[in-house]
Amino acid sequence: MKIVYAKEELCLNCRLCEVYCKTAHSKTKDVLKANKYENPAPVSRITVYGDKMLSAAVNCRHCDNPKCVQACITGAMTKDRKTGVVSVNEDKCIGCMTCLAVCPFGCIKTGKFAVKCDLCQGEDEPACVKNCPNRALVYVDLGGAR
Amino acid sequence: MVNYIPRRFTVVRDRELCIDCGCCVRQCSNECHYFSDDGKTALVKSDNCVACHRCVDLCPTGALRIEKYICDYRDNANWTPQYQQEICRQAETGGVLLSGMGTPKPYPIYWDKILLNASQVTNPSIDPLREPMEIRTILGRKPEKITVEKKGKSTVEMPPQVIIETPIMFSAMSFGSISLNAQKSLAMAAKSLGTLFNTGEGGLHPDLADYTDCAIVQVASGRFGVHKDYLNNSRFVEIKIGQGAKPGIGGHLPGEKVNVEVSNARMIPEGSDAISPAPHHDIYSIEDLRQLIWSIKQATDNKKPVSVKIAAVHNVAAIASGCARAGADIIAIDGFRGGTGAAPTRIRDNVGIPIELALAAADQRLRDEGIRSRISLVAAGSFRCSADIVKAIALGADACYCASAPLIAMGCHMCQTCNTGKCNWGIATQRPELTKRLNPDIMHERVENLINAWNHEIKEIMGGMGINSIDSLRGNRLMLRGLGLSEKELEILGIKHAGE
Amino acid sequence: MKYVIIGASAAGLACAEQIRKEDKSGEITVLTKEQYFPYSRPSISYYLKGAVKEKEMYLRKPSYYAANRIEIVTGAKVTGIDRTAKTVKVGRKIYPYDKLCICSGSKPFIPPMKNVSGKENAFTFLDLASSKAIKEKANGNTRAVVIGAGLIGMKAAEGLSKICKSVDVAELSPRILPSILDAKSSKGVKKHIEEKGHIKFHLGDTVTEAKSRGKKITSVILKSGKELKCDMLILAVGVRPETDLAEKAELETDRGITVNPETMQTSDKDIYAAGDCTVSVDMLDGRKKVIALWVNAVQQGSVAGSQMAGGKQTLGGAYSVNAIDFYGLRICTCGLINAEGEQYSDKVLQSGDSYKRLIFEGNRLVGFVLINASDNAGIYTSLIENRTDLSGLEGNIFETPSLFLFEKSVRAQRLKGEAV
Repeated sequence: MKIVYAKEELCLNCRLCEVYCKTAHSKTKDVLKANKYENPAPVSRITVYGDKMLSAAVNCRHCDNPKCVQACITGAMTKDRKTGVVSVNEDKCIGCMTCLAVCPFGCIKTGKFAVKCDLCQGEDEPACVKNCPNRALVYVDLGGAR
Repeated sequence: MVNYIPRRFTVVRDRELCIDCGCCVRQCSNECHYFSDDGKTALVKSDNCVACHRCVDLCPTGALRIEKYICDYRDNANWTPQYQQEICRQAETGGVLLSGMGTPKPYPIYWDKILLNASQVTNPSIDPLREPMEIRTILGRKPEKITVEKKGKSTVEMPPQVIIETPIMFSAMSFGSISLNAQKSLAMAAKSLGTLFNTGEGGLHPDLADYTDCAIVQVASGRFGVHKDYLNNSRFVEIKIGQGAKPGIGGHLPGEKVNVEVSNARMIPEGSDAISPAPHHDIYSIEDLRQLIWSIKQATDNKKPVSVKIAAVHNVAAIASGCARAGADIIAIDGFRGGTGAAPTRIRDNVGIPIELALAAADQRLRDEGIRSRISLVAAGSFRCSADIVKAIALGADACYCASAPLIAMGCHMCQTCNTGKCNWGIATQRPELTKRLNPDIMHERVENLINAWNHEIKEIMGGMGINSIDSLRGNRLMLRGLGLSEKELEILGIKHAGE
Repeated sequence: MKYVIIGASAAGLACAEQIRKEDKSGEITVLTKEQYFPYSRPSISYYLKGAVKEKEMYLRKPSYYAANRIEIVTGAKVTGIDRTAKTVKVGRKIYPYDKLCICSGSKPFIPPMKNVSGKENAFTFLDLASSKAIKEKANGNTRAVVIGAGLIGMKAAEGLSKICKSVDVAELSPRILPSILDAKSSKGVKKHIEEKGHIKFHLGDTVTEAKSRGKKITSVILKSGKELKCDMLILAVGVRPETDLAEKAELETDRGITVNPETMQTSDKDIYAAGDCTVSVDMLDGRKKVIALWVNAVQQGSVAGSQMAGGKQTLGGAYSVNAIDFYGLRICTCGLINAEGEQYSDKVLQSGDSYKRLIFEGNRLVGFVLINASDNAGIYTSLIENRTDLSGLEGNIFETPSLFLFEKSVRAQRLKGEAV
């Protein structure tokens, strides 16, 4: 399946991916409102780690055999059999964050529910990839069983 | 310390629009943006702003604006604020003033005073979308005369020729003065456009090994990175005598920019200053130049044309003639508005002559001497659009060197501080955190787009003139008319005044 | 091939699903004594406090079982296993099996107390039925007493505090949540719960006797002599592996059902066991423990399923990892949090309401306690699970962990999505 890959040698540490992720996952879809006025503030599902010398954006790897899905105590975290997307059903999630405790990549964020990358379902390209000014994020299928 | 010089710009942050994402803070290498101690509020400190617009262009909400810092001096047409500020800077440092890019001084730009012709009724214009338009350009020495066998087959042994698909080439910019990513972007663009990029005097980085068939390699006074393989891994070799932005001046790449990569490409110790002397220490005459050209031809088995690049100075026509007679196949003339990574400001702003006049004079002199076909003329020194290129070709150029325009396509905002090595766009710097900002995969596309757009425009202009091959435009000064130029200027340019 | 699975929670369901993945044609029968299709047992406290609806608690849609040909038999309490005939008895009904998996889970442990057993307002808190019963009885006038301040007791207390007039918690140990918190952090958590939930704790104390009127408990008397008015008593002292069936069938047991730690096979080659009813070896200190955790149950169930269907899946090491929240306070712990011994060292970082304690064994991370500091905790978990030598790391382990803890090649692998 296609997922988002980060090229650390090209990451600018500008963190615009976070800004546009929040926007894409906001109520208003407006960059200013989403990042300044919305309450509760939307949570970015992608995070840039590192410093100006070396940085990279990390978001969900949509693993073949996701630990978060195994660990989910309510069945809220599932991997879609067709698309491969790992996503949270917010009606089922109780926010215990066991998924966060087992994700070896650090891709799950705390909110009222577990918050994670959904690859901007319905869009051709996730917002982070679309708005990366240096193409440090790419949305490709590198093959494999995933 | 008080430095008596007001800052140049003010960065204005619109608090209503700022979302404190900190993109500006993490992007400005001049530290004009910073966070409050709690890390929640982005603040501005304009002192070092050079108006490179990195923050402005990346700000997701358009919250930033750069304004000229307005601080009036008492009116004085002679002692302008600029001179006063430069004096203060020198009073502080005791040093030569340095600048980057071409001169910003308001000297006449003849391109803007030359108008192009178009066909009406007779010799009808051509629609470039319907009919083929030839802009392929062939550089190199042409034979004096052609002899043929009975069957019509040529018996002339052709000197080496270089075919490019557009009259636009990328001028010399060394790895060292610009980043490897910038050079690689140009190399990639050159390859896909069918034209050439120029390594400058910085040697050829191993990462560019795939681009040797579109490389011009330079031999300059420092002879950095020059060896037999370097000369042979090229389409042609260029001896750099001078540069438009700093005629008569050598180059100086400070040791801190000479990292491992630069040191390998230039074949000099890491951290040592890379000094290009003002003259080539083995060239004191046309005869000496002839010797070097001969040596290079020997080293390349007579397979590569050799170019000589000179700055446009007062007696440029005579020098061009001398170069032609010394055996050069190509002469590149660099006008005084040409760019640079670093030049003494006074030299850049006061030495040399405009490319328009130098080109016209050299072309005329070579024609008059009957040796124009021995060499190809390449014009350099600030081409801002396709019309400038068309005018240069009509004035006699075979091809043009462009550097600033592709750099602008890659993000350069002409902030003129290349010499500081803090280029926020990753062009004129070797700092890894800055060079990575320039992704060759994006930038080669932008440069290609630019040159393709210019190619389209050149074809359109040619079509309007009723010309379908760039060879018919070359030196065709009847296609040019001057506007508001003196008799003398018209005479040198070899063109008539508009209305004549 | 006939597969029978006893128990339909985490391990049972994972087992059935894995069998179906590897054997498309076998018959899978899952027997559950409960009246419900597989649901999220840990959600019962959220159901109690009204944070989740019953229909959202079901782990799969009913159509899922039909589509995957997994037969779930509810209300089927297994009464015996006949190993020679290879059958499972549910009352009079007989289920023959080729491969059997016991996922019977836990049973509540109830210490001896006078006058408690058989009373109508004394409840355990282990399944949806008990949660429903409690929810039905509890109201704004209820004074609830919870015995036990472990995970179940505390979650019950939290749920009740939203409904009841008062909640008292009695715990024999001197601190709350002893299985997931160390002494220091449990103090802070206790304070938070007291403030936010208005729960009263009676630590180092427990209920010894109840006073009743008819079948109804009216108050309880603590060991210390205190008497608490009580309209509802929740028995949450602890759980034990449910091994009755296995013992009756003469399978090897040792606190829990003994299994091969890699294949989940019991002492009978055609019988497997998975989940809370088994006993595991903690990979971090090599001790035999009952690690009653959802993740472990899923992994064990999946391995058992694979092995039963002739697959190759085996189990890695077991360790405990827990994440839980109380009134907005996020607790995340893993590994040997109460490790004692010279070989262990620890370091605590505390600021404001966040608390981070990392426990090391030499150059390796073996445990952590994170309170309101759980960002990217999974990276710590992976360091523990992989027994990573910390001297090879590049970043500061005490900062929020990220992939930049690892050197370039490892980081690149992880960015590609390959867990190391």
